[in-house]
Amino acid sequence: MQLLTTLSFLLFLTPAALSSKLTITIPPSQALPNPHSLPADTHATLTSINLVNSLKASLTRSARFVFTDFAVAEHKASQQDDISGSYLLDIRSSEYVFTPLRVDLDERGEVMGVWETFRGNEWGNRGAEKYARPAGGKAGGGNGDEEVVVDMRAIGRKGFYEVRQTFSPLSLFKNPMILLALVALGFTVGMPKLMENMDPELREEFEKQSRASPISGAQSAMAGGGPANFDLAGWMAGAAPRGQPAPVAESGSAGAASGKENRAGARRR
Amino acid sequence: MRLQATLFLVASCVPSTLAIYADEVGHIDFHHALLGVPSEQSTFFQRPSSSSNAALLYTLSDKSLLGAVNPKDGALLWRQNLSRPAVTPGHDNQGLLRASGGTNAVVSALGDYVSAWSALDGKLIWENWSPGMPVVDLELLELEDASSAPSVTDAIALSGGKAGSVKRLDGSTGKIKWEFHDESGDVPFQVSASSTDVFYISLQPALLKGYKLRVTSLDPLTGRQTSQQVLNSDNDITGPDSVLFVGANTALPIVAWADKSHRTLKINAIGTKQVTAVNIGNTSGADIRSIKLHAPRTLNALPHFLVQYETESGSWAEVYHIDLASSTVSKAYSLPFLQGWSAFSTGTKDANVYFTRVTESETTIVSSASHGVLGRWPQHPPLDRALHAVSEVAMKGDSVALRSAIVLESGDWQLIQNGAVGWTRPEALSKALAANWADVDSQQDLAHQLEVEGHESIIKAYTHRVKRHLKDLEHLPDWLKELPKRVITSILADEVSNLDSYGVSKPVIVATKNGWVYALASGDHGKVSWRVKAAEEDAWNVKSIQIQPGLATVHVDDGSSVTLNVTTGAITQRASATGKSPLSPEDDVSSDVYIVTQEDERILGWSSKDSRVPAWVFQPAPGEKIVRATARPSHDPVASIGKVLGDRSVLYKYLTPNAALVTTVGDNSATFYLIDGVTGRILYTSTHKGVDTAQPIASAMSENWFAYSFYAEGSDPSEAKGYQLVVSEMYESPIPNDRGPLGSAANYSSIADLPLPHVISQAFIIAEPISHMAVTQTRQGITTRQLLVALPESNAIVGIPRPVIDPRRPVGRDPTSTEVEEGLMKYAPVLEFDGRWYLSHARQVAGINTVLSAPTLLESTSLIFGFGNDIFATRATPSQAFDILGKGFSKLQLLLTIVALAIGVAILAPMARKKKIDTLWKARS
Repeated sequence: MQLLTTLSFLLFLTPAALSSKLTITIPPSQALPNPHSLPADTHATLTSINLVNSLKASLTRSARFVFTDFAVAEHKASQQDDISGSYLLDIRSSEYVFTPLRVDLDERGEVMGVWETFRGNEWGNRGAEKYARPAGGKAGGGNGDEEVVVDMRAIGRKGFYEVRQTFSPLSLFKNPMILLALVALGFTVGMPKLMENMDPELREEFEKQSRASPISGAQSAMAGGGPANFDLAGWMAGAAPRGQPAPVAESGSAGAASGKENRAGARRR
Repeated sequence: MRLQATLFLVASCVPSTLAIYADEVGHIDFHHALLGVPSEQSTFFQRPSSSSNAALLYTLSDKSLLGAVNPKDGALLWRQNLSRPAVTPGHDNQGLLRASGGTNAVVSALGDYVSAWSALDGKLIWENWSPGMPVVDLELLELEDASSAPSVTDAIALSGGKAGSVKRLDGSTGKIKWEFHDESGDVPFQVSASSTDVFYISLQPALLKGYKLRVTSLDPLTGRQTSQQVLNSDNDITGPDSVLFVGANTALPIVAWADKSHRTLKINAIGTKQVTAVNIGNTSGADIRSIKLHAPRTLNALPHFLVQYETESGSWAEVYHIDLASSTVSKAYSLPFLQGWSAFSTGTKDANVYFTRVTESETTIVSSASHGVLGRWPQHPPLDRALHAVSEVAMKGDSVALRSAIVLESGDWQLIQNGAVGWTRPEALSKALAANWADVDSQQDLAHQLEVEGHESIIKAYTHRVKRHLKDLEHLPDWLKELPKRVITSILADEVSNLDSYGVSKPVIVATKNGWVYALASGDHGKVSWRVKAAEEDAWNVKSIQIQPGLATVHVDDGSSVTLNVTTGAITQRASATGKSPLSPEDDVSSDVYIVTQEDERILGWSSKDSRVPAWVFQPAPGEKIVRATARPSHDPVASIGKVLGDRSVLYKYLTPNAALVTTVGDNSATFYLIDGVTGRILYTSTHKGVDTAQPIASAMSENWFAYSFYAEGSDPSEAKGYQLVVSEMYESPIPNDRGPLGSAANYSSIADLPLPHVISQAFIIAEPISHMAVTQTRQGITTRQLLVALPESNAIVGIPRPVIDPRRPVGRDPTSTEVEEGLMKYAPVLEFDGRWYLSHARQVAGINTVLSAPTLLESTSLIFGFGNDIFATRATPSQAFDILGKGFSKLQLLLTIVALAIGVAILAPMARKKKIDTLWKARS
């Protein structure tokens, strides 16, 4: 900050004979929080068809671009000296994206106005005004300091790299299918253990209840007869398995189970 | 055919853009960030700021690039191109670079442009122009002056031009503090500063011939002239080159010159009238070829200096001391004559001055005070011939450490640390003119054997083959021995399969302007595997490098050629100059060959039947001149002759192998002609008005399409300003399923009346100029192509996917469902380069003027090599690496999964068995 004030003080002292000066500042933005992190080869260019070469301004230590002297620009038509016209101002950076600006200079090489411009649109279609010289006044408001300061904001940052899908066991557990499978596995392994550790009376009650529920009925049917024998249509219709009474009567349930097992045993033989 | 169709399907299904993965950086690509050959006067070690311990190596190269290099590993920290468009170059176009201890700035001058840069990060501190007055000399004013801040050093610049003028520039803003004009008409020569005075030295023409040295003392605070001396040197000095040395900021600056016969050396302490003449003790008897003076640059160093004498066969040196009180010069000691080359340099530590001498076989260091050798390091293997050196000395007690950066004859930059080569920067590659991928053919022998078998009778061929296979069994034990290692490394390696055998890491042969040929190992970060001085002259203008299996032939524009072995770099054959270009129409070629040449603003077509009269001549319209001509690459396979539209109809491509795209520029316009190379017929023309012809105009051509770019702006405010990229496609007919008058004829003749193409074009506005264009090449042309563009402003190489710049994109409306099926997007006039298209990603690839592309044995992969200033090579996979298992395919993960499953099976199988048996028993009970 100290340096900046010194700088501006020095600028204030310089004679007004020099043609005007255009300074571009870069405010911190979402895409570029710290403009001082820009690499040293970032630069700004002023392009026009009338110039032999476009003008170039290097990045300064204070993260600015300063076009000091438009008079050094060489006009293509050698007899023509004034460099008035409309210029395209770009900041060249490989990583950050800046919007272009339109800069109009008068015949003395002083900045008349700076506007935002849109690529691919007609040149007359100007965007937001960044600076306009007051009518009849000198650049910079005529207070002797003829520096024109405009800001250019980085609007985006280019991502060069593709992110590789890495393997991590944690990501595996985020998969719902895996989670379901794990829960099922937990039940199949954990339930018999739980049952064994259960109080015998409680277990009996539990078994009684589970036999009463239709799902467990289906489970018992599946466990007993295996999927090959399971009558899915019948079970879904609420009918009892073929060849066995419905598991409503408590006394019949044991018989039904034994009958079914007998059948299976007979088949095996 | 089936395979090709399948591949095509695969290639068109996968998304066409894919960026490089961060872990592939440095693996599939390499980059040499180069500066150019460091200049002798503007290279030095310097601490970037007063607080830092380690010094950096700064240089201003012959390519006007200012850069800082880390002496530890030779990595480039920052660089700036000083060549400003508005700069008027000085008479010798040699830039100047100065820095002083304690400040964090380096000050450079090139032409009429003086600038100061932050030494740490290369950002601009100040700049100063003096139009029309090129800077002749630049010094930093190291005053022990309380008025100026200690971290800021003012610069003294001497401008030439019509009259000499000395300026003191403020060290923090670059503003002129005072200016001294020399109206005498002398030749401005040098400035020098001591702690009390600023000396302006000019050459005053003597009455008859020669020059007198005029030394003007200036007050450093006001710039007023305090005193003036004229030294009688008119017998010895014939021009600025005759003066050997004008002392930089030593305690007592000196000016030294020698007489014409190199017998006496004359030294004057600047500011005094007295000239000391020293006899040169030439014991060798040979003529002295050059005299160089090496003196410390720091203000507080001892006033000692070294004079190096060089003859044809060797060199020696003498060390002199200056007596500050009497301003007399006396010889202290001399360093012996040694055969071969020697590079002397100066190093300082506090006030002590050390001189180092690097020769082919050893490096020695002596103190300026006595001739005792402080350190001696033998050099194994011997060094290549060095031109000049800079050194940095570190002393710790009695032990001494030394590092010297030497510039080799080839232009390469090498760091020698205590007798060992630290790093080598191949700076000569910044002058690359031509490059090509070498064909290291290990299978040449096999091809020969197979050829033998093909020519013999069946039985003989069979026995030959059996013998050959038996002989191959010799390699079996080695192969078996290698096998476990190969398996293990293939699991742990980055890449799933070693792709070297698919031609992805072919060495690159590069020919540079100064007559050297380099081979870069693509598989090894672009390391230089060999370099050879192939030209007999200092410079050559290489046109192309042709590759045969195992050999590379460098063709020069004067018709000569050099053939080298690509594995060793040995020159196998040399063809002398014929005085004509390698592809002149007089060459003995078979009949019906058509050659197109370009000479003085015309393009000529020649038929091999008649080598005297051109078959056709193309001359652009009056006021236009030809700037570029490009044709389809020699390897440009077409996978499909038509383009299938969404409704299953086909637009047939207009494919002609003979077309060339010629760019001509007028005053403010550019015209692109598509010419048939056999008949010279113009197939298509497009003219663009309001084109800036000073900006780069690039063009490229492939298959049935071509692209070009330029900067254009209209005078009318309703037109857009900016860089444009125009893409055009040629079809046989505007109507789908129609093949035009030729139909599906297999043969056609260019000489007969050929139908003209139906051309569809679209223009895009891009943000940046394009300096060079090329198209990716793959083995069968099935993979979608990328338009490779070199961006000089943002130092990048970008591969634009071809579908994005399809000229059939619907304009002003959303695509219909059939167009969506084709992959067409709505046209947008602005084409922003997506970050993922950047083949050079975050690397700053500067000054690329040519981009080459070559196919590999893998259809998905195309090799890319860019040169100009930097060297950059990478592999592009425009349709993703569909035929390679990439890094994303983890072998380890696959193996672990298999192992986990096996363990699971091993645990669960007994459980399942037990359960089965249990149920059986339960069933029984």
